Formats: sequence, structure tokens, C-alpha cells
Amino acid sequence: MGFFISNIDLIEQSWSKGKLSMLSVGLDIGSITTKIAVMQDKKILGTDVAFTGYSPEKAWKDILEKMLSELKLKESSVDRIVSTGYGRNNVSIAQKKITEILCHAEGARHFLPKVRSVIDIGGQDSKFIRMDEGGGVADFVMNDKCSAGTGRFLEVMARALEVPLNEFGTMSDRAKNTVRISSMCTVFAESEVISLISKGESRENIIAGIHDSIASRMVSMMGRTGVMKPVVMTGGVAKNIGIRKALEKRLGIKLDVPETAQVNGAIGAAILAQNLNGSSS
Amino acid sequence: MERFAYYDTGHEFPEEIVMAAGFIPYKILGDVHELTDPADRYVHNYICPFSRSALTEGMMHSDEWAGIAFCHGCDTTNNQYDIWKRHVKTDFLYWINTPANNNKTARSFHVRELKRFIDHLEKKFNVTISTDKLKEAIKTSNKLKSLMRQLASLRSSKDIPNPDYHAIVRKSVQMPKDQLIKELESTLKDWKKRPDFPKDRVSVLVTGSDITYLEWMEVLENAGLRIVRDDMSLGERYFAETIPESGDPIEALVDYNSRIPQPPTRLPFEARLDYLFKCLRETPVKGVVFQNLKFCEPHLLDLPYMTDQIKKAGYKLITIEREYTPVIDQQVVSRLETFREII
Repeated sequence: MGFFISNIDLIEQSWSKGKLSMLSVGLDIGSITTKIAVMQDKKILGTDVAFTGYSPEKAWKDILEKMLSELKLKESSVDRIVSTGYGRNNVSIAQKKITEILCHAEGARHFLPKVRSVIDIGGQDSKFIRMDEGGGVADFVMNDKCSAGTGRFLEVMARALEVPLNEFGTMSDRAKNTVRISSMCTVFAESEVISLISKGESRENIIAGIHDSIASRMVSMMGRTGVMKPVVMTGGVAKNIGIRKALEKRLGIKLDVPETAQVNGAIGAAILAQNLNGSSS
Repeated sequence: MERFAYYDTGHEFPEEIVMAAGFIPYKILGDVHELTDPADRYVHNYICPFSRSALTEGMMHSDEWAGIAFCHGCDTTNNQYDIWKRHVKTDFLYWINTPANNNKTARSFHVRELKRFIDHLEKKFNVTISTDKLKEAIKTSNKLKSLMRQLASLRSSKDIPNPDYHAIVRKSVQMPKDQLIKELESTLKDWKKRPDFPKDRVSVLVTGSDITYLEWMEVLENAGLRIVRDDMSLGERYFAETIPESGDPIEALVDYNSRIPQPPTRLPFEARLDYLFKCLRETPVKGVVFQNLKFCEPHLLDLPYMTDQIKKAGYKLITIEREYTPVIDQQVVSRLETFREII
């Protein structure tokens, strides 16, 4: 799932020339997936994604070991580590734990320095971050303790429709009509979807309706703080073109989505790690 | 001495009357660690979970109390009285119709209500609640409130973790008052010697639903948010004002009740807001935490207006709706930690 640059030579060259180089790692331990980003100064050397599973501790250790091995780096060569996400406190070797809001904001700023708003839809929560002119977080809102409008909601729907999640985007593009999913609760929405299936509604139309219900919920949440352009969308759900289009339609603006949307929080963490004072905080 | 239990949503209950009757006033605060299934049989689960916890406590512990009194509060409290009548075993369950208004007629009505309560207590428990005993109880209450004010004021200059403050506030409405005064005097000496306000904490004012359990105070503390002022009934509102010690004690209690900072069950909103701004002027804070217990309707009604006004005044504010559980959701922790990071 990840990518990496065989960049060990670059690092060694920098060191041998006596240039001070900062090697940082950002670990984003999410509810569904664990993400890693390794950076040398402002350059991303590699990123990866793996399922978190039962043990967040095992998840970050495994992904870190794999990433460092692919990059041919030793753990001792890493200068700083920042962890984020729900499992951030499980990363014992992190010099600092920072919330995902700040990390996503930082990651989005790395992608688009003038960003003023960030939409992040992850596995367990959805967030909207409004940033100030200086790139700091001015305000934020998160969904309540409910999976509606999150990646988990999409997973449940994919199971009910027997459609692989990665086909949701293209299938919703083929929809002739967007059905209305009115239930706010994931469990009730699932039974609503099952009712629509039994009525003979096409899967494409249902998927378009699911995307629209997530977009509707997100846009309501965004209204609490106000939206400012440009808007960057991050998180695993950003990979879904159907959600992106539904959001763009409701907002009436184009969203900027980085290639690295899913690992954006880890990238933000790696950048913030480089800004830490000293070797530990 | 026996405990006399009471259930109110603000500070409407006249503790001094039961103290003068020879009882220990005991505010029912529920127990977040106990399942509420006994109460859930009679109250739907979309009704305030704290009230269901209080009903559970009543059903399980009423035999330990001499009696129970309710005061007019939120709609849930008011309706709970009828449920308690049927499902809580007690020889004395009483309703004090504390007026929601604050005018001459309301105060006169309140005087009559308190006299009626005294009359019922005297007859039921064969006691005499004399003027002298009431005055003595008022003095004890004022002593306690004064100590609490001194302790609370130390939060902005000394290292007083949120759970420490919560512990004394909880005791203040449940412990025997004489014993409590001794404990508070000793705590005051201790707190004065504490180190200065820690640099790794940011000062906040907390408002919204009463925080009745330690775990939520710990969450705020662990997120780096240190409460230096609060606008809660289980908190500053309990000791913000002093009861007049001269004149008729019943009139004094009514006068006191008309001056205590307003809970969300009373209108207008502006009175609450004025008090909040007064607190914010008196004690500089970095942010305001407006936390509501799920299904706490009076606070939810206040929330849009209050938060809007606080934000307009330039304060950083976070609103959190919390579940009634000692197990705190990680998402809430993240939100509080982010708030701390951005302020």
C-alpha cells in the first residue's frame, strides 16, 4: 500500500558533506489503519498504510520496522518521532504525541501552503478544521460519538451491498438517480439500504445516496465554523471519488485532494517532529 | 446524626432548615459506576442519565436517609418527584416548590413554601426548628462557603489539580458540616503551601452540566486543562453568595436564594451570561469549556446563545456533549487535547 524512495544514498551524502539533516517519522495510529511517513527535512522518503487490528502497539512497531527496512535505515538513524491518531499514546518511543487535528492541518499545509480549510474523513471520525491566515488551527469540529458519515459507515454499506469499497467511487459515477438515505444512524441506515435493495433500487443509485448522505452530514458540520477556500480533503475516504464529488456539489467549490490524502496525518506528524525543540519534549 | 437526602438541579434546597432539624443534608449525586437498570424500568433512556442514576441511588439507599426532599428544578427533576413517590421507599418525601421567578410575589411565595417545609419536618420528626437553630445553621453554612471560596480562589495561583477541587466540592454537599469545616481548614493550609500554578497547564473556565464524577475531572486534567473558575451548581454556584445573618432567618434564606448565580433552569439567559462574564473578568483564563451531559435539556437550550456570546467576546471555546460514563471516549480526549493545543 505504501511508496518509498530508495533515498539512503541521499541521506548519507548529506551527512558526509557535513550538512545537518533531520530524519523524522510520523506515525498515525487510526482506528482502522496505521499510517507512517518518513521525512528527511521537508522531503517525504516513504509512506505506508497497514491495518491497525487489535494491538495498536504491534501495528506501529510492524509498520515502522517494515518502512525502515524498505528505506534501508536503522531505527537509531531516526532523529525524531511524533505519533498521532487514537493510538498515539501507545507509541512509547515517540518524543511527542500530537492530536490528529494539528497533524492533519500541518499535512494539508505541506500539500497546499495557502489552505484555509481541511476536511478529514477517517475510519472512525470526520473532522473539519478551519485554519487562520498564518496556517494555524483557528477552530475545528468533529462528528459526535457515532460512526455515521465516517469510513466505518462506508464499510458497513459495502458489506450490505456486496460491493468492494474501492469500487464505490466509480459505481456512484454511473448512478442515474441519487436516492435519499434519511437515517442518521449507521445501523438504521444499513436497514434502510437493505429495504432499498429489496425494492429493486440499483446499487449505483444507492451508493450515490450513501455518498450524498455523508456529504450532507459533513457540510452541516462545516457550517458550524464556516468554510474558507481553498479546501483540502484528507483521510482514507478522500480516495473515494464519489464522496469528493458529492461534497463538491453540496459546497459548490472544488476540493484539493493530495495523492497522499490517506497518510496526510502521518506526514503532518513527521513535519511537526522536525519542528520539535531538542531530541525530546 | 441521620442524613436527610435532597435532589435539586441548582442550589434551591435550604440545607440550613434540615441542619436546624438535626439532620445532615446529603445531596443526591448518583453513582456513575452503578448501572441504572433499576431506574431504566421507569424512565426512558433518552431522559437525563444523571436523573436515572439519582433514582437508582434512591431506590437502593433510601432506607439510609431520614427523608428526601425535592426542589423545583428542570423538567426532568420535577417529573422525577412523581416517579420517586411510587418507586422509592421512604416515610418522608417532600416537594418544595421553589419559585423560578425572582420578584416580590415569588419571594413571598417562597417564604410560605419554606415555612410549610419546616412545619412538615417538625410534625414528622417531632423536632423544633427554632429561629436560633436556623441562625446557627446559617452561620455554619456561611463559614463553609467562605472556606470554599478561599479554596476555589487558590486554583488560579497554586497547583490544585481538577480532581482535588472536585473532591472537596462533592464533600461540601454530602458530609456533616462541622466535620467538613475542620477538613476544609486543614485543606486550606495544605493548598496554600502547594507549588505555583504549573506551566504545563492552561487555565480554563468550565460551565455546563454539573460534573458529578471524578473521571471527567481527570480527563480535563490529563488534557492539560486546569479549571480555575467554574459555573456549576456542584461548584462555585454553591458558595458564591453568603446568607444574611441578621433578621428573620427564613427571609434570609429566601433573599440568599434570589441572589445565587442562576442555573440554566431559570430565565433570562442574560443573567447567566452576566455572571459568566463577571467570572471571566475576575479571573483571566485561556479558554472556556462548555460541556453538556447528553439529554441535559436546560443546558442545551442555553448553549447556542451562550456559546455565541462567549465567542463574540473573543474567548476560545469548546463545546462537548458527554455521555454519563466513567469510561471516557478517546474522541472526547482528542477534542480536549486539540483545544489545549490551539489555545
